[in-house]
Amino acid sequence: MTETWRLIDLRIEDAPTQMAIDEAVAMARLKHGTPNTIRLYRWNPSAVSIGYFQSIEKEVNLEACKEYGVDLIRRITGGGAVYHDYNGEITYSLVAPEDDPKIPRDILASYQLICGAIVNGLKGLEIDSEFKPVNDITARGKKISGNAQTRRHGVVLQHGTILVDSDIRRMFQVLRVSEAKISDKLIQAVEERVTNLRRYLDREVTFKEARDALIKGFEDTLDITLVPGELTEPEEQLVKELHGKYSSHEWVFQR
Amino acid sequence: MKRAEYKIPGGKLLAAELDVEKDTLVHVKISGDFFMHPEPAIIDLEVALHGRNVGEISETVHRFFKENEVTLFGVSIRDFVTVLELCLSS
Repeated sequence: MTETWRLIDLRIEDAPTQMAIDEAVAMARLKHGTPNTIRLYRWNPSAVSIGYFQSIEKEVNLEACKEYGVDLIRRITGGGAVYHDYNGEITYSLVAPEDDPKIPRDILASYQLICGAIVNGLKGLEIDSEFKPVNDITARGKKISGNAQTRRHGVVLQHGTILVDSDIRRMFQVLRVSEAKISDKLIQAVEERVTNLRRYLDREVTFKEARDALIKGFEDTLDITLVPGELTEPEEQLVKELHGKYSSHEWVFQR
Repeated sequence: MKRAEYKIPGGKLLAAELDVEKDTLVHVKISGDFFMHPEPAIIDLEVALHGRNVGEISETVHRFFKENEVTLFGVSIRDFVTVLELCLSS
């Protein structure tokens, strides 16, 4: 019989809540004996998340975010800046103990495994993609997913973005890719490095379709059965406590 | 303020900001899209560098990683030294 993990399915929340939930699930895993968990989620309003070590002013066009109502958040994980488009992106997160036999101790190997689940999920949609170390997944040489991992509280927390139908023009309006003013020519150049499911397949892709494919990818790759569940009471309590940190100016603008 | 960016072979970006007074580091800020666990160790590294002579950067960085249990991914100890020294000579 395959092992059962909890699935917290396509939950829609704002940026501080999503980041608080990821950290709460990680904190509670060993402390409260909660199950190994995969979450799928979307961000409303759309948001830019930056890596723990990134300089917000260097990475984000703050004025553009304000103009377009795009929220800002700093993650507890390293890595790069991501535009989480409410209408075109799914984020996943995975929490399991560091010593879980399914999770390699080696960091690169664990990225390879978890990103492999995304690659297998995309294969179900007839998308041919591959894990590109350090932490990306590309399809036809273009980035389709970015991933970030941390290890704390004795657990592995990995979260990542899957571009379903992201507005790539808006993405490069809110992210600072270059100091140079974004001309149409430059947009073309950066667009060449990023793709999404709809562009790759040249057809509409629903969130349901992408969600089903990702779930199958995780189940097959990790040899688990995902059972829909909710956050436990202690996790909900932690989310409330952590929400304040993530929405604070001190946290978001610390670097 | 001195600033430098260093593109690590393999793709990650490392940036540093330094203020130097009389050969002493009085402000150190490191940023980028690399990975380090536990993440707040970056603050400890900055604190370790603060107040050091500019000639002690390499030694201080190496000692920090020797004395602290920090895991690096997408970046190496040498990369931190490189960006800080680049910054110093900017």
